[in-house]
Amino acid sequence: MLRILRIYGTLIGFALIVVLFSVLLPGTFFTSGNLINISQQISMLAVVAFTMTIVMVMNDFDLSVGSMASLAGVTAAVLFSLGYPVYVGVGAALLVGLLGGVFNGVLVSLVGILPFVATLGTLTMFSGLAFLVSGGRTIFGRDIPSEFSGFARGGIPLDFIGLDGQKLPFLSLVALLVLAVVWFVLEQTTYGRRLYAIGGNKEAARLAGVRVKSLRLSAFALTGLGAAIAGLMYSSRVASANPTQGSGLMLDAIAAVFLGMTMSEEGEPRVLYTLVGVLILGVLDNGLTQLSVDSYIREIMVGAIVVSAVAFSSITKQSR
Amino acid sequence: MNALSIRNLSKSFAGSPALSDVALELRGGEIHALMGENGAGKSTLIRILAGVETADALVLEKDGRALPLSNAQNAHDAGFRFIHQELNIVPQLSAAENISLGLPYPRRLGLAVDWKELNSRAGMALSRLGVDHIDPAMQAARFDTGDQMLIKIASCLVDAEGRTADLYVFDEPTAALTGEESEKLFAVISGLKDSGAAVLYVSHRMNEVMRLCDRVTVLRDGRNVLSAPISETSKEEIITAMTGRSVAEIYPPRSSDVGEAVVYAASGVSTDEVSRIEFKLRAGEILGVAGLANAGQSGVLRIVMGLAEPGKGRIEFGSEPAPKTPSEAWARGIAYIPRERRREGLMLQMPVCDNAVLPHLDRLRRLLFMANRRGERAMATRTADDVRLKAAGLSQPVYQLSGGNQQKVLFARALGRQPAILVLDEPTRGVDIGAKYDIYALVRELSEAGCPVIMTSTDLSETLGMCDRVLIMRDGAQQAIIDAAGLTPADLLSRIYAS
Repeated sequence: MLRILRIYGTLIGFALIVVLFSVLLPGTFFTSGNLINISQQISMLAVVAFTMTIVMVMNDFDLSVGSMASLAGVTAAVLFSLGYPVYVGVGAALLVGLLGGVFNGVLVSLVGILPFVATLGTLTMFSGLAFLVSGGRTIFGRDIPSEFSGFARGGIPLDFIGLDGQKLPFLSLVALLVLAVVWFVLEQTTYGRRLYAIGGNKEAARLAGVRVKSLRLSAFALTGLGAAIAGLMYSSRVASANPTQGSGLMLDAIAAVFLGMTMSEEGEPRVLYTLVGVLILGVLDNGLTQLSVDSYIREIMVGAIVVSAVAFSSITKQSR
Repeated sequence: MNALSIRNLSKSFAGSPALSDVALELRGGEIHALMGENGAGKSTLIRILAGVETADALVLEKDGRALPLSNAQNAHDAGFRFIHQELNIVPQLSAAENISLGLPYPRRLGLAVDWKELNSRAGMALSRLGVDHIDPAMQAARFDTGDQMLIKIASCLVDAEGRTADLYVFDEPTAALTGEESEKLFAVISGLKDSGAAVLYVSHRMNEVMRLCDRVTVLRDGRNVLSAPISETSKEEIITAMTGRSVAEIYPPRSSDVGEAVVYAASGVSTDEVSRIEFKLRAGEILGVAGLANAGQSGVLRIVMGLAEPGKGRIEFGSEPAPKTPSEAWARGIAYIPRERRREGLMLQMPVCDNAVLPHLDRLRRLLFMANRRGERAMATRTADDVRLKAAGLSQPVYQLSGGNQQKVLFARALGRQPAILVLDEPTRGVDIGAKYDIYALVRELSEAGCPVIMTSTDLSETLGMCDRVLIMRDGAQQAIIDAAGLTPADLLSRIYAS
C-alpha cells in the first residue's frame, strides 16, 4: 500500500488537480481547446525539462539553461534585425546553445568544477552576453520576420479526429519531438545506459570502462542545445526577444525533474516522469490563472506542491 | 548486563525468509562469534539489532526484561554499539571530531567549541585502544583505512564513557587492518569483554574467531545450525555447519601447467605510486602481489588497468600499445575487480543486470548505438549463473545483496567476455567462506583455460593457495618475484619483511 502510494502518489496528485479544476471550472478547463492551449503553454518548459533530465541522470545540474534560452532568443532576433534569413538566425542560436553547453561540460568534466558552481557562473555569463548582444533592449515588431513568429501560431489541423477548426500547435509538436528523442537517447541507447551508470557511481563507472569525461561533456552540450531550442520557441511565440525572457525556466525545469523523480523506484530521473512533472506545473498554472488566483499566491502554491511531493516521497522511502 | 536474549527472530523480504526463528543468547563478559555464508542472514540480523530494519517477529530480553526495538534510537538506548565493516568516517573533519561525532562537543562559555578538551577526550579514547600514532587534531582523510577503522572504534569507546554500553557488535572489523593493528584491536575487544560487556563478533577469518571468541553461533539460510562454546567445537565443524559440506581442499589445486606464451610484460615501469616494476605474465599464470599494508600492491594493478601512467619503462601487451585508460583496457579484454567494491565497483542503486553488463554495452549494441536489452539480460543470466550468484532476480538492486553476492556481481561483470587478463584487487575482501570457495574455483577455472591473473591479497594463505608466483612490494618498489610452490605463510611473511 505504502509502496503504491510512493510510486503513484505523484500521479494520483496530478489526477486530483485535474479533477479539481474540472469541477471548479466547468465548461472551460477540461475542454479540447484549453488542453491544446496548455500543451502550447508548457512546451518551452517541457523542452528545457526534458533536456535537463539528461544531466540530472548523472546527478549533475545545469543552472544556466534559463539565461541560455534568453541568449539564444536574442542571438536569433539580432541576426534577423540585421537582415539575415530565418535559417541563419535559428542555426546560429542553436550553435550558441550547443557551444554554451560544451563550455559548461568542459568546466564540469575536464576542469572538474562542481556543476552547481560552474553553471551558476555561466548563468551570469550567458545572461550578461544576452544583454550585450541585444544592447539591453527588446527586439520586436518588424525586426522579427513573420515566417519566424508565424511558426508558433501554426499547427496541424485536428479536423481528422473530429476537433474541427482546432490545431495541434507546432510548438507542442516540437516538445513531443524532443520528448521522443530524449526518451530514445536515455532509454534505448548505450549512451543513455552509460549516463545512468555515471549517475549510479561515477568512480565505479570509470573503472568499468565508461568514458565519464566525454559523456558528461556531451550531456551538458545536449542540455545547452535544448535550452536554445526553448529560447527560440519562446521568441517565436511572443514575436520578440529580450535578454531576460528565459529566466523563469531553470527553476521550473529542475522542479519538474524532481517531481518526476518521486515516481521512480530508486529515485532516478526518467524523462517520461519529467513529463508528468511538467504537466503538473503547467496544469496548475493554467487552472489557477483561470480561477484568477493572484500570481504571488500561485507561486507559493506551486512551490508548496513541489516541496510536499518530494517530502512525501522521501518520507515513504525512509519508512519502507 | 548479564544476559541479552534474542529469540523467535524472523524476517522476510518480499515473501522470501531471510531469518526464520533465529535465537541468540549473548552474555556479559563473553565474545560471541556470529558466522555464516553470504546470504545466511548475518547482515539482516545486525541491521535489526541496530534498529535499521524491523523484524517480523522478535522477542528481545535484557536480564529478563523485554526491550523495545523499532528504531536506531531504541538500539542506542539499549546500549548497543556497532562497528561496521564499511567505514562511516567524515574525511573532512579531524580524527577527534569523528570520534565525538553525534555527541555534544565540549564547549567554553556554552558557545565556542573547546578544541583542547575535544582533542584530549579523543586522545584518551585512542590511548584506551593502545593507539598512540594518531594525532586527534589531524584531518581524518589523512589517515589510511586501518587508522580510520581505529578512529571509528574509538568513537564507540568515547560514547561508553558517558553511558556504559552493554553490547558491542563488530562487523568484520579486521577486513582492512594489518596484522599489527588487528592485534591491538583484539586486545581492546578483550578489554571490553573483561569490563563486563557482551561482544558480538562477525568475521570470516576462522583463526581470529577460534582465538578470540568464547562462543559461536552459525547461521545457514536464515536458521540456527550451530551454537556452541568455541572450546567444544572445531574449525572443521564450523565450516561444515556454514557450508553444509565438509571441508575439502579450500584452494582448488592447479591441474595443468602454466602456458609458455607471455601475455603481458612490464619492464622497469615506474609511475607516481610505484617504481621498478618488472614482471612477465604467462598464459594461465596467477601472479600474486604481496606486501605490507599500502606497499603499492594496488599501484601495480593500476598500471595494467591503464589507471596510472608509466613515466618510465616499457609494457608489452599484444601488438598494440598498452591501454592508457580503463575504457581501453576493458576493450582489450582486461577485466578488473577493484579493491573497494561499494565505492569503486558497483552502482548500488542499480539492478544486478545493469551492473554486470556495463563494460560490454558496446559489444552487445545493435545498429551502432542501440542498447540491446535482451542481449544484456542473456549475458547477465549466463554470467550470474557462472558465478553462482544468489539474487532475487536480475532486476534486484545491488545494495540489497550480501557482500559476497555483491562481489560475485563484479565477477559476473568480468566474465561478460572471455577475459584476456583478470586483474583482482583483494578479490575476497569482506566475503564469506562459501562465496570464497566459489570465487577460488572460478579463478582457478579461468586460469586453467589460459587466462592470466594478477591479484593482490592481504591473506597470505590465499596468496600461496592460489598463486604460482608472488611479486613482493615494499614502500612502493618491487623487491622480488618468488615461486610460491612449497612456501608456507610464515616463509612468505619473512620474505615480505626481509626483502
